[in-house]
Amino acid sequence: MNDQHPLTQAIIGGRRKDVPQLVQQCLDAGETAGSIVEHRLVPGMAIVGDRFKRNEIFVPEMLLAARAMKEALKILEPKLVAAGIKPEFYAVIGTVEGDLHDIGKNLVAMMWKGANIEVIDLGVNVPAARYIEAVKQHNPHLLGLSTLLTTTMPAMRQTVQAIREAGLSVKIVVGGAPVTLEYAREIGADAYAADAASAVDAAMSLLHHKP
Amino acid sequence: MNMNSRTRLLTHLQAQPVDRLPLMPITMQFAAAHIGVPYRQYATDYHTLVEAQLKVAENFSFDFVSAISDPAREAADCGADIALFDDSPPALKEDNALLADPASLARLKIPDPEGGGRMTDRLNAVALFKEKVGSDKLIEGWVEGPMAESADLRGINTIMLDFYDDPDFIRDLFAFVLEMELLFARAQLRRGADLIGIGDAAASLVGPEIYEEFVWPYEKKLVDGIHAAGGLVRLHICGNTTKLLRKMGQLGCGIVDLDFPAAIADARAQMGPKQVLLGNLDPVKVVRNSTPEHITSCIAECHRAAGARYIVGAGCEIPRDTPEANLRALCDYALRTKP
Repeated sequence: MNDQHPLTQAIIGGRRKDVPQLVQQCLDAGETAGSIVEHRLVPGMAIVGDRFKRNEIFVPEMLLAARAMKEALKILEPKLVAAGIKPEFYAVIGTVEGDLHDIGKNLVAMMWKGANIEVIDLGVNVPAARYIEAVKQHNPHLLGLSTLLTTTMPAMRQTVQAIREAGLSVKIVVGGAPVTLEYAREIGADAYAADAASAVDAAMSLLHHKP
Repeated sequence: MNMNSRTRLLTHLQAQPVDRLPLMPITMQFAAAHIGVPYRQYATDYHTLVEAQLKVAENFSFDFVSAISDPAREAADCGADIALFDDSPPALKEDNALLADPASLARLKIPDPEGGGRMTDRLNAVALFKEKVGSDKLIEGWVEGPMAESADLRGINTIMLDFYDDPDFIRDLFAFVLEMELLFARAQLRRGADLIGIGDAAASLVGPEIYEEFVWPYEKKLVDGIHAAGGLVRLHICGNTTKLLRKMGQLGCGIVDLDFPAAIADARAQMGPKQVLLGNLDPVKVVRNSTPEHITSCIAECHRAAGARYIVGAGCEIPRDTPEANLRALCDYALRTKP
């Protein structure tokens, strides 16, 4: 992995104004859009995630990096679509019903996007029925549920239950300040993520698990 | 020695001997549930808030009562879009932030805390506390800290980028918030508050460089302003403050709360022997979900790590559905233990 590539470094450093020119240089050098995503953007966001896990960078720096990556994807995504390249993995994400907090959910969405997972973000205060509708519509591999309040943890449990009762086979990742590994197991989630960087590890583990 | 709660806390904060450890767990949703009212009523009607706080303080022998309820009072009075839930705290609508356009700050007026809005409701709570228990329990008022309130007004996702995109705006916004919170704090002190809690949760999301450059100076001015008005200060930053401990210890607060991700031993090492620390049991994993025996063992360990300059409490709010036996175990440790 060449994490010293200027585009990767621009992503890590959150230098979004440098990104368009650097992306164009990669394209001019013959790199495909898919290759740029896989070899320049994803490694950059992986490094960002590692540094966040080690408390070397914090939420502002993660958001800067995610914004820089978004700048690159503005140029690359239309090329991927034109080439008929679809994302390999999809995820739906949201904050559960009764909870308006979104920064944790947003960070996970950005990190999953940075790991080349296409993310459909339902926003906040999302009732179980909307998750079910979205899962049926988009057929995602992953469903991310977030909550910051102990009082809305029951909504997380109800959502997981509703998804299971609807017979949907999506893998469910849960997280948020009051959520624990024990609670995730208790409500039947497939994985627990303590933070946005760990959410990528959880996703990769679920997506690449060989039965 | 025989002292009442208020005397115990004031004496302890003056580093004088007391009869036992003081007890100051944060209860909001637990208090509302304790008297069987929906949280909306607790957060919007000061009579209910006072009744709930008094009942919890009486039943669990707290040394204080608090006007804390939710982070959306000042923002509501500024005109922010707030969601009210039947049984959860009021919340800011992030997608309709009051200062989504930074130019709006120039036109934003500081609300009058006595103007009849949600800030006035808190002032009335403080005044009612003073009337009911003013000589017996320490009365805690509450304000939002510069980072938290600025995030509420600007949108937390946006303000995180502002540190890099527009640092001058950050300083202007923090200056506005400082003036508003000082006004609010002084009004609560005039109504009878002894101590003002500063809730600055969002500060734990930024790193030490941003905290030291932007947040700390305004927290310091707020702390100094409250002191100048005759009040004590309790600092409460939820989340992982491990990298902020040294600077937090330099604010001069009477009490520094620690949430469970920040080790008390670390805080003691970085803040020195005199800083009064409070915390830091995991409110969900330990206080709500474990056993009275485990809670007793954990709080004893917190006390050991903190030393005598310590007040008993959890890392953050006691969750609503915490078994009473669990909270009682936390409280009983304080009731039978000398500093």
